[in-house]
Amino acid sequence: MARLMSRSTLEFDRVPARERALRPLGGRNRRRDESWFRDRAPAAWKHVDVVLVSCVAAVSVLGALMILSSTRGTDPDAYDTSFLRRQVLFIAAGVVGMVLITLVDYRRLRDFAWLPYVAALVSLVLVVAVGEEVRGTQAWFQIGAFQLQPAEFAKVAVILAVASLLAGREVPLRARWVAAALVLISVPVALIMLQPDLGTALVFVAIALGMLLMAGARARHIVVLVAVGVVGVVGVLNSDLLEDYQRDRLANFLQPNDPDDIADLQSSEYNSDQSLAAIASGSINGKGLFDGTQTRLGFVPEQHTDFIFTALGEELGFVGCATALALFAIICVRIWRTAQIAQDRLGMLICIGVLSMLVFQIFQNIGMTMGIMPITGITLPFMSYGGSSAIASWLAIGLVLNVHMRRFG
Amino acid sequence: MNPDRSHVPRLRMAGIAVVAVALFASLFARLYDLQVLGADSYQVQAEANRVREVQLPAPRGRILDRNGKVVVDNRVAVVVALERASFDALSEERQADLLNRLSWDLAANGHSISPDQMRLRVADQRYSRYAPVPLAIDVPESLKIYFEERAADYPAVVVERTALRAYPYGPLAAHILGYVGKINDAELAAQVGQTAKPYTLNDEIGKSGVEHTYEPWLRGTPGLRRIEVDAEGNPIRVISEQPPQAGDDLVLSIDVDLQALAEQKVQQGLADARARPNRDGSRNAGTRGAAVVMDPNNGQLLAMASYPSFDPNVFVDGVSDEEWAFLNDPANGTPLNNWAVQGMWAPGSTYKLFVGYAALMAGVMSPDTVFVDRGGYAIPGCTGAKCYRTNAGGSSYGRVTISRAITVSSDAYFYNVGAQFWLQRDRFGGEDGMQNLLRPWGIGDRTGVALTDESAGRVPTKAWKLDFCTKLDCDTGWRTGDNVNMAIGQGDVLVTPLQLATGYATFANGGTRYVPQVALRAEGYQSGQVSQQFDPQVAQQVDLPPEIREPLLQGLVGVPRSGTAVRAFAGFPLDDFPIAAKTGTAQVDNKADTAVFTAFGPAPAPRYQVSVFLEESGFGGTAAAPVARALFDVLSGVRPLQPAGPDGLPQGGADALAQDTGGAYD
Repeated sequence: MARLMSRSTLEFDRVPARERALRPLGGRNRRRDESWFRDRAPAAWKHVDVVLVSCVAAVSVLGALMILSSTRGTDPDAYDTSFLRRQVLFIAAGVVGMVLITLVDYRRLRDFAWLPYVAALVSLVLVVAVGEEVRGTQAWFQIGAFQLQPAEFAKVAVILAVASLLAGREVPLRARWVAAALVLISVPVALIMLQPDLGTALVFVAIALGMLLMAGARARHIVVLVAVGVVGVVGVLNSDLLEDYQRDRLANFLQPNDPDDIADLQSSEYNSDQSLAAIASGSINGKGLFDGTQTRLGFVPEQHTDFIFTALGEELGFVGCATALALFAIICVRIWRTAQIAQDRLGMLICIGVLSMLVFQIFQNIGMTMGIMPITGITLPFMSYGGSSAIASWLAIGLVLNVHMRRFG
Repeated sequence: MNPDRSHVPRLRMAGIAVVAVALFASLFARLYDLQVLGADSYQVQAEANRVREVQLPAPRGRILDRNGKVVVDNRVAVVVALERASFDALSEERQADLLNRLSWDLAANGHSISPDQMRLRVADQRYSRYAPVPLAIDVPESLKIYFEERAADYPAVVVERTALRAYPYGPLAAHILGYVGKINDAELAAQVGQTAKPYTLNDEIGKSGVEHTYEPWLRGTPGLRRIEVDAEGNPIRVISEQPPQAGDDLVLSIDVDLQALAEQKVQQGLADARARPNRDGSRNAGTRGAAVVMDPNNGQLLAMASYPSFDPNVFVDGVSDEEWAFLNDPANGTPLNNWAVQGMWAPGSTYKLFVGYAALMAGVMSPDTVFVDRGGYAIPGCTGAKCYRTNAGGSSYGRVTISRAITVSSDAYFYNVGAQFWLQRDRFGGEDGMQNLLRPWGIGDRTGVALTDESAGRVPTKAWKLDFCTKLDCDTGWRTGDNVNMAIGQGDVLVTPLQLATGYATFANGGTRYVPQVALRAEGYQSGQVSQQFDPQVAQQVDLPPEIREPLLQGLVGVPRSGTAVRAFAGFPLDDFPIAAKTGTAQVDNKADTAVFTAFGPAPAPRYQVSVFLEESGFGGTAAAPVARALFDVLSGVRPLQPAGPDGLPQGGADALAQDTGGAYD
C-alpha cells in the first residue's frame, strides 16, 4: 500500500503535464465503447501512444508514395502499381501484427520469449540451407509470390529474448549474464554472417550495445565488448566471409574514386554517386512527386528498397527529407520516452532494443544514400519496399506500444 | 510493482539520447549540405545522366559558278539502315537470317555488303546508339517500297532519305570541286573540340578541292535531338529537337561555260599533239595537261582545267577500290590530281619574262642594250663538252634588244644574262642575285590558292643544289652553266601552271600579285543572301617601274604578231584585242618536250590571263598556243561562248584547233 501510495504521489506530481503531452487524442478514445477491451486489459487502451502511431503511419504513407514513384515505370499508358499494392498489403499486415502484439501484456510475452527466438534461429538455419540467393546473399525464402527475410523478424525476436533474459538481473550485471546475452545475440549474428549480410548483422550489434548498456552492464565490460567488436569487424573484412562487392563498397567508401565517371556502371561507386546526384539535385523543393528523372528513369539501383530515400530526396527535396527526418526523430523520441516511463526494466529494455535498432537503421540507411556511411544492405524502416522489413518494424512498434500503454500497471 | 523509475539509469538514458541526437543532427546537416548548399553541380550531373544527344545530318550547301549556275547540287537518296535496339532484341538465328536476306537484296541492287560487314558496322560503338546504322546508301526507290511492304519480314530495317551530291555538269571542273566522303578517323580526331558544326562518324566531309577548303561554309549545322534515356540507356522520349540547317552555297569565280571550253581544248590539244609527229620524227605521248584562265586584276580564276579528269559521281556513295586505284594510277595520268596546281614542269622560255625583269632590275642589261645573237653562246671560262649552247633549232637572230629577244625567244641573249649574273655576282646581287629577283613573281612558292595539294615549284640556288645533290649523289657545285640553264627556264627550274599564270597576271596588272581566288562568296542556302564575301588578297607588290615593264611588254606583244606564236594567232584581231604572249618548249630527258604557252590580253589593260601546259606535246607555239587561241577567240568576243552541257563539254561540238605544222622554236 505504501508502495502504491508512493507511486501515486509520484505520478500525481508528474502525470498531468506529461499526460497532456503524450495523449492529445485521449479524450476521443474515452468516448468509445471499450468494454470489449476492458475485460482483457483494463484501461490500457486509454494510454495508447497516438503520436507514435501517427508518425509511423505518416512515414509509411510517404514511403508507399515513393515506392510508387520509383517503380511505376516510364510508360504513361501502363504505370506499374504492383509494388504499391503489395506494400499497402504489407503495411496492413504490419498493423494487424502490431495490434495483435499489443493485446497480450508484454510481461506475459516474457514467458513465451523463447518461442519466437527459437523460431528465428530455425528459420535462419533453414535460409542458409535452402534459401534463395539474390545478389550473392542467401537471405530469403520464396513463398509463392512473396519473399520472406527471416533476419528482419529475428531482430524483434532477439530484442524480446535479451530483454527477457536481463530484465530481472541484479545491477550491475554480472559477467555471466553479459556473456549469456552475448550468446543469445551471437548465434543469429553468426547465422546472418553466413548469408552473408553484414548490414543486418551490424543492426544486432547496435541492439546488443544499447540493451547491455541500459541493462546495467559494467562500463568496463562494454568497453571490452566494443574493442572485441572492432577487432571482429576488421577480422571479417579481411576474411573470406564477405562477397567481393561488399568489400568493394566498403573500400570504396573509405577511398572514393574520381567523381567524374558518374555513369560508370562497372564502378562500385555507381550506387553512391547516382544516389548523391538524385538527392542533391532535388534541391530545396524537389523536382515534384513523380517528376524525379533519376527516380523515374531508374538510375539508382534498389531505389524502391534500400535507396528509397533518394527518391524522396529528388522528388520532394529538402522539405520532404527534413519532414521525413523529423517524423523519424519524433518516433525515436517517443520510444525513448516510453523507455523512460516504462513500468519495469523489461519494458524499458524492450524499448531500448527497438530504439537502438531504429536509430542505427535510420542513420546507416539515410547516411549511405548521402554518402556519409558505407553502402550496406539495410532497409529504411517503414519506408523501404519489402514485406519482412515492414511487418517486423510494425511488430517492434507494437512492442513499444505494449510497454507504453501498460506503464501504469 | 516498483513505481519509482530507479530501474532506469538516468545517465545512460541521457547518453543514448545524446548519441541519437548527434546521429540525427549529422543526417540533417548532410541533407542541408547536399540539397540547399550544393545542389547546382548535382543538378547538372543528374541532367547529364538522363539526356543523350543525337545529331541530325544537315544538307551541304550547293556550289554555284560565278553566274549562278549550279555546279554541285543536292539530291534526295534512299538509305537502308538498321535500328540497333530492335536488331539487338532479335534472337541470334533471326539476326543471322535477316542479315543474310538483306545482303542478298542489297547485292541484287548493286550494293554489296556481307552479313559480317553489317555485323561489324552495327557493333561499331562510334555510331550513335540512338540513330539507325546505315548499311547501303542510294538504293533504288523500288527497294524502299519493297522493304516497306514487307516490314514484318524485315524487323529493325528502316528506310530513310538522305541528301547526296549531284553534278548537273557531270565531270566538269571535278578537280576544282573535289569530292566528299565519309569522315575518317584522322579527320574526326582533328575535329574534336569543334562545337559549332560537330562531326559524327556517320558524317561526310570534303576530301579535296573547294569541298575541302570551303568545308566550314559548305557544311550544314547538324540538328540536335535530345532524347531522355533510362539507366540502361534505353530511349524513353524525345525532349526537344532542333532542326538541321543547310550549309551555305558557295559561289565560285569559275565560269562553267568557259571551264567546259578550257577542258575541251586541253584534251583536244593533247590529242592533236599525239597525232602529230615532231620535226625530228619522234612521237608525242602527252597524257597530262592543264590550262588556267585568270582575271589579272584580282586573281580570280575563271577556268582551270586539268587533264585527265574524273567523274565525281563515283565518290557519291563510296568509291570502289578499283575506281580508286584507277584514279591514282600514274599510268593513267593520275586523273585524281589537279595538274594545274599539283603539276610541276620546267617553264621553258616563258621564264624569260622573269629573267628579263631580273636583268633589267639588276642592271645586267638595260632596255636598249643590243646583244648580237649568233645562234649560240660560249659559256665564259667553261671547259668541256657542254660549254657552247646553241639556240633552239640553231636559228640566229642577229642584233637583239630585250624586247626582240623576248619576241623571237633568243636563247643566246638570256644565256648571256644568266652567265653574267653568276660571273659578276659581286655587282648583281650576290650568288642568288638572279633568283632573288625571280621570287617576287611567286616562282618557287605556293600561290596560296584555296585548293588542296598545291605544289611549290622550284627556283634552284647554290645552297639548294648542294643539299639536293648531296642526297642524290650528283655534282654539288654551282656553275655558270646552272645559271645559264635557269635563264631559259630549263635545268632544275619547276613551276606549276597556276604559278606561271599568277606571275604573268602580276606582270599584266602592273605588279600586284594576288592570291589566286577560286570562290567569290558564300550565300545562304538557296537564298542568295551573301553570308561572306571573299575579297581579293594581295600576296605581294612587285617593284615594276614603267621603264622596265614597257620594253618587256613590247616583247610579249610581239610574240603573236611577229614572234613564236604568229601561226597560232593567224587571223586573230590583234589590233582590236592586243595579246601579250610567250611560248615555251621545255626539254625533258628521254621524253618529248613540254609545250607551254602563256598570254594575257587585251594589252595594255588586260582582263584575261591564259596559261597552258601540255606534257610531251612538242613545241609551245605549235601545241599549246592553239589551246590559248581558242580561249581568246571566245574571251575577245570573236566566237560566242557555248553553254556547257550535262556531259561537261560545250554544247554544239568542238571546232578544230588552229594548226601550226611548221612549229616555232623557242
